[in-house]
Amino acid sequence: MVILALLLPILFGVLLILGLPRAFGVWGAGLSFLLNLYLFLTHPGGTAHPVTLPLLPGVGVYWAFGLDGLSALFFLTIGLTVFLGALVAQVEGRFLGLALLMSGLLLGLFAARDLLVFYLFFEAALIPALLMLLFYGGEGRVRALYTFLLFTLAGSLPMLAAILAVKALGGSPTFLLEDLLAHPVGGGAAFWVFLGFALAFAIKTPLFPVHAWLPLFHQENHPSGLADALGTLYKVGVFAFFRFAIPLAPEGFSELQGLLLFLAAISALYGAWVAFSAKDFKTLLAYAGLSHMGVAALGTFSGTPEGALGGLYLLAASGVYTGGLFLLAGRLYERLHTLEIGRFRGLSAPAPALSALALFLFLAMVGLPGLSGFPGELMTLLGAYKQSPWLTAMAFLSVIAGAAYALTAFQKVFWEEGTQKTEDLKGAEWPFAALAVAALVLMGVFPGFFVKGLKPLAEAFAKILGGGA
Amino acid sequence: MTLLVLSLFSVALTLLGFFVSVPLFKRFTILGLSLALLSLLLTWGKPFALGPYHVDGISQVFTLLALLGALWTVGLVRSGRFEFYLLVLYATLGMHLLASTQNLILMLVALEALSLPLYALATWRRGEGLEAALKYFLLGALAAAFFLYGTALHYGATGNLLAGTPGEGPLYALALGLLLVGLGFKVALAPFHFWTPDVYQGSPTPVVLFMATGVKAAAFAALLRVAAPGVPDALALLVAFSVVLGNLAALSQREAKRLLAYSSIAHAGYMALALYTGNATALGFYLLTYVLATGLAFAVLSEVSPDRVPLERLKGLFHRDPLLGLGLFVASLSLLGLPPLAGFWGKYLVFTEAAKAGQWGLLVLALITSAVSAYYYLGLGLAVFQKGEAEARPRPLARGVALAVALVLLLLGLVPGAVLPALAMG
Repeated sequence: MVILALLLPILFGVLLILGLPRAFGVWGAGLSFLLNLYLFLTHPGGTAHPVTLPLLPGVGVYWAFGLDGLSALFFLTIGLTVFLGALVAQVEGRFLGLALLMSGLLLGLFAARDLLVFYLFFEAALIPALLMLLFYGGEGRVRALYTFLLFTLAGSLPMLAAILAVKALGGSPTFLLEDLLAHPVGGGAAFWVFLGFALAFAIKTPLFPVHAWLPLFHQENHPSGLADALGTLYKVGVFAFFRFAIPLAPEGFSELQGLLLFLAAISALYGAWVAFSAKDFKTLLAYAGLSHMGVAALGTFSGTPEGALGGLYLLAASGVYTGGLFLLAGRLYERLHTLEIGRFRGLSAPAPALSALALFLFLAMVGLPGLSGFPGELMTLLGAYKQSPWLTAMAFLSVIAGAAYALTAFQKVFWEEGTQKTEDLKGAEWPFAALAVAALVLMGVFPGFFVKGLKPLAEAFAKILGGGA
Repeated sequence: MTLLVLSLFSVALTLLGFFVSVPLFKRFTILGLSLALLSLLLTWGKPFALGPYHVDGISQVFTLLALLGALWTVGLVRSGRFEFYLLVLYATLGMHLLASTQNLILMLVALEALSLPLYALATWRRGEGLEAALKYFLLGALAAAFFLYGTALHYGATGNLLAGTPGEGPLYALALGLLLVGLGFKVALAPFHFWTPDVYQGSPTPVVLFMATGVKAAAFAALLRVAAPGVPDALALLVAFSVVLGNLAALSQREAKRLLAYSSIAHAGYMALALYTGNATALGFYLLTYVLATGLAFAVLSEVSPDRVPLERLKGLFHRDPLLGLGLFVASLSLLGLPPLAGFWGKYLVFTEAAKAGQWGLLVLALITSAVSAYYYLGLGLAVFQKGEAEARPRPLARGVALAVALVLLLLGLVPGAVLPALAMG
């Protein structure tokens, strides 16, 4: 089943790249979403649908996939976000094909149960991301592309060294996750191994000060927001810290925990600060994303079960609302051909439904109780507070600032008096809005339902770290 | 078998060349190389020995790679003279011999047998090519002298001429070092690489393809045998020099063939990592992916122009001819070692060898320089998608081969395990 879920978007993606029309891709995204939804709803707990096929058995590499509670949740949010994008983004079929291809690779990344296979997908997802930027990006795309690529590779190659070291030094016979977990690296080497992982994942979280690729990446991508939504889903750093880096080298993590917590808090605050002064939608969303990832990372680095759970839930939820906001920005761009916040005025009068949708998305981002951003933020801060009250207080400021920058932007665009005329929601934007709002509300009101598969994982995680100390 | 086929065809075609037309001659050459390939595949896995000529797993794998390179070169080239094809055939014979012996004297003979035709091939384009070829010849002769001196000292230290004889003492270390220099020149390990950029840039592209694939494969087979009892400490220096110098120098290149020349120096450095544990399977797989990817890159370049190819001239190639553009893109990414392409597994396997040997310093250096190499490989691979006026008049066969090789690179990346058993050698 998992293999089918991976191959479905990849297959549709390849067919679209070969020239099938866009409508076909919408069906593909829809099918993929339904399949992922089914997998999530029928998830029995534990690691479901395990598959292990030999890849390079001689050196211990297997195509190993499985769906635990965490992967299942991300399958759902990826499927949903990509479907939302396919519904509304007015892009040519090939672009949608690249997006579908990338979503399949991201699913593989989340389902991988073999460290090297994870790495494989982690790197492979880079290629469609680069191609989307290259083919459909703006004027400065080449510079953005190089920045993005060099940051990513500067992290991922040290990570490859860490991957080799984890097996060689820990003495595990294979790269399968359970084997590696049974042979963690200890002693002085753990520090270096963890450092190798940490650099790669900090870049992909992203954390201050290695976030410089992020704003450029978003500014230069296609205004439809499809590539940005996929880019948001590609920010897998928090997940990777949780699943691989920290459990595989816990001793190394303990040495760096203080620094990482500090960087996470700084990212949260700094992102919110810059977002507040952002002039256009994409910059705003890019830095808001940085700020939210800082909060999510803070939860994971706290090493407490609540913090880790909250961080992951926030990561999953932010994929949907940040992705949704990027797509919404794309809708605005199509109507008024600008992304500058100052150029919009009072859109709520001509487009009430559009503005209601935007309000939902912004409020979810702000973390209003009852919407999807809140449970994650709350649990994160509860968990992180146990670990370091001061840094948590600092990060909390970013949540308040979040309300300020998001609502200011919303107020400027939709409420201030103006005479701009524009269309309200139309066509495929209605199902887009309905689905997005349903997801935001459901994830906000029934967080328990979504995290039930995560709980045992978060507890096991905290146990590796000695019960949250 | 393979030796017999290659020698018979070489001698017979030398005579035949004066009587048949050049296109027909080309077909005969392809026939000879294909028969050699067939004989190799028929006897796959079966050792054979006749005096110092010794066919084993290493010989078969590396000969296979050399034959692929030779066939590709002959297929690509449009030469009006039969000597061109004949020289390729002779060089292939030398490569097979070099890969199939442990005797240092025979190795030297084979080394010369493969080098002399290449000196001639390098001059194929007069003018600029002549200077490059002279450089190649002079440095090559020097390297052969080093190799010969190493052979003599090896005999002095161990009392025999078999590569891979264990020994000790300063004389033995010096002997190994000299042999290493001689072969390091052929595989373009820095600091013995000075000929590489000029020769790659000045020679006709199909010849460069042959040098980058066949010569490297054969010379690495010999290196494996020489380094079998343990590598001298100096190898670390060669590796470090090669990966750093090759990658850094490639960054500023604006001409595709020169860029690939520096890239080949860097790759020689990566491959040499496998010598630490003497794992021929890892090295063989790396070479396979390297031969396919670099061959593909040169094949595309040769369809664009037989001459120099500034990166500017590649812009827009994808729109002019999607298959060729895609081929160069895939080749660049595979050379960079980005999953899921085959090049990744090659790097992975040799890096694992370095980890096993405990060479963490070299490993980290190799990884960092790999990251640096992303810059120029992407410059090469993405140029084809940019706006521009690239021109290409490819033959249908060349486009088909480009597509096939690109697919093989992708497939090998998805199921690398499929070919590893065939490369496993004792």
